[in-house]
Amino acid sequence: MTTPAIETIGLTKQYGGLASSVALRGRSRSSGVRALEDLAIDVRQGEIFGFLGPNGAGKSTAIRLLLGFLHPTAGRASVLGFDTVHDSVEIRRRVGYLPGGIAFWDNLTGERLLDELAGLSGRPPVRRSALLDRLELSAATLRRPVRDYSRGMRQKLGIIQALQHDPELAILDEPSEGLDPLMQRAFYGILDELRREGRTIFFSSHVLSEVERVCDRVAIIRLGRLVALEEVPALLARRKRNVEIRLGGPPPALAGVPGVSEVETGDGRLSCRLEGDVGPFLAAIAGSVIHDMTIEPARLEEAFLEFYETDLDAAPPAAAPPSPAKVPA
Amino acid sequence: MNLALLRHTWRANRLRVGIVTVALAIWGALMPIVFDAFGSQVAEMFESGAFPSQLSQFGGGDLFSLTGAVGIGFVHPIAVGLMLVFAVGFATTAVAGERQRGTLEVLLARPISRRVVYGTLALAGASFVAIAIAGLTFGAWAGATFTGRTAELGVSNLPLLWLNGVLLYCALGAVGLLASVSFDRLSPAISVTLAFVLVSYFLDILGSMWPDAKGLQPFSLFHYVDPKTVLSGFADRGDFVLLAVATAVAVVASLAIFPRRDLAAPS
Repeated sequence: MTTPAIETIGLTKQYGGLASSVALRGRSRSSGVRALEDLAIDVRQGEIFGFLGPNGAGKSTAIRLLLGFLHPTAGRASVLGFDTVHDSVEIRRRVGYLPGGIAFWDNLTGERLLDELAGLSGRPPVRRSALLDRLELSAATLRRPVRDYSRGMRQKLGIIQALQHDPELAILDEPSEGLDPLMQRAFYGILDELRREGRTIFFSSHVLSEVERVCDRVAIIRLGRLVALEEVPALLARRKRNVEIRLGGPPPALAGVPGVSEVETGDGRLSCRLEGDVGPFLAAIAGSVIHDMTIEPARLEEAFLEFYETDLDAAPPAAAPPSPAKVPA
Repeated sequence: MNLALLRHTWRANRLRVGIVTVALAIWGALMPIVFDAFGSQVAEMFESGAFPSQLSQFGGGDLFSLTGAVGIGFVHPIAVGLMLVFAVGFATTAVAGERQRGTLEVLLARPISRRVVYGTLALAGASFVAIAIAGLTFGAWAGATFTGRTAELGVSNLPLLWLNGVLLYCALGAVGLLASVSFDRLSPAISVTLAFVLVSYFLDILGSMWPDAKGLQPFSLFHYVDPKTVLSGFADRGDFVLLAVATAVAVVASLAIFPRRDLAAPS
């Protein structure tokens, strides 16, 4: 069995309180802000793992715990088999990190900055030239001071500094922020290439379409709690698709057809929601006169919103999320 | 210590180090020249009672001897202000400033422990101080040579004077770095360090000019720098030890605090 790239067990982070000491005294009351609670995930080597949640959900806190910037209040985590509290230097030797809203030493040129960061990493920048080509950062651009760079160019520089030394694991916080659509596509290509070469990517985002496009598995986090962790295709397969049919005759009888719900008819139209296998639905409409039919594909956004639209108080803690999510995978 | 970080820190500060060192060298050279040109007149003015005699004891220096004039140059607000570029400016921005800008994030994502980051920054700061104080000391020697008064200076004691100054500003810089690793934002780090330096400076100057406040001087780090006595060959070894101990205490406290701190995302 291979070591997980990332493994967290009951990882909890509370800011500004005395949770530990209060707990030791056997009191239930705790002060401070609980940014992360009982996070239990495992990221497999060689996969692209999406970490989804809106701003303030706890994504950056989790990443900072993994890199040893923060100390857990409870639980533990390991990255590439190294403990995040005791071996954070070893972890950072093997990891490339792109912080959200990255800041640089602006007086340096792009080239000097990349050189200095590679020097600090202690590993040669073996991927730099390929990344520069893919992200279209020219030599002339690199000779300019970073303070003159646009937001998109800074983000490209951030991606390059995180990946130039060919890390075993890349932890990317909102990596496509500020990139134009063409560059986003180039970036996704880079991720695909890294995956083919067996590198692991841990990828936090609130852009659902990109997570859906590039990730193998996704964890959804809400108010510091994990609410879902699943393969992206499996998550999508369970999402309800919207069906719209323009009819040329009487509507088909869809009551009781497996996977079909919310059927509405009238004015020569039929709409419904379709979940799972489409076979029974197609069989049910086979005899009907249909002028047009649209089945809207399942989107991760709907899955995401489903987890966010329910009342938080009704949601169980992260360690025991509601079906259909399975935690940990 | 991390060589790559040391190089980076040096590159980022070399212009500042150069400017401050040259400015301090000029300032250091001015004191012997001023003494040579106006020393006797100033002495006459004080003897005539035109100025309170306490003013002639500013910072333990005087204007009646070359060593006294050089001593005034060392503790004069201009020299102290220039040295604070490192003791307060560099020290406080080294961690808290980088953190506020968000650049500490990029640095700490590298395989460098926080203790090594601190040690490298402290070493860089100490080297800046050493060079700047060397400029001031060199200036004093150059000024004395220019006026033909080298024999009055006690040149053999100049290295000891340099060490005394280096230890003072290393101690102040260590306090600045301690504040820097303790705060998330630059302004509280600067405020605390500046308050410490100003109170320390005020206590020493007050004690040197007002006999009733003499008892406050031992509470000031500036009290343990005595250029006139050092140049006269009567340096108190205890002063050097105390400054070294103050530096060590601040370094140990920083090394205890920094690795244990939570570094939340910059706001």
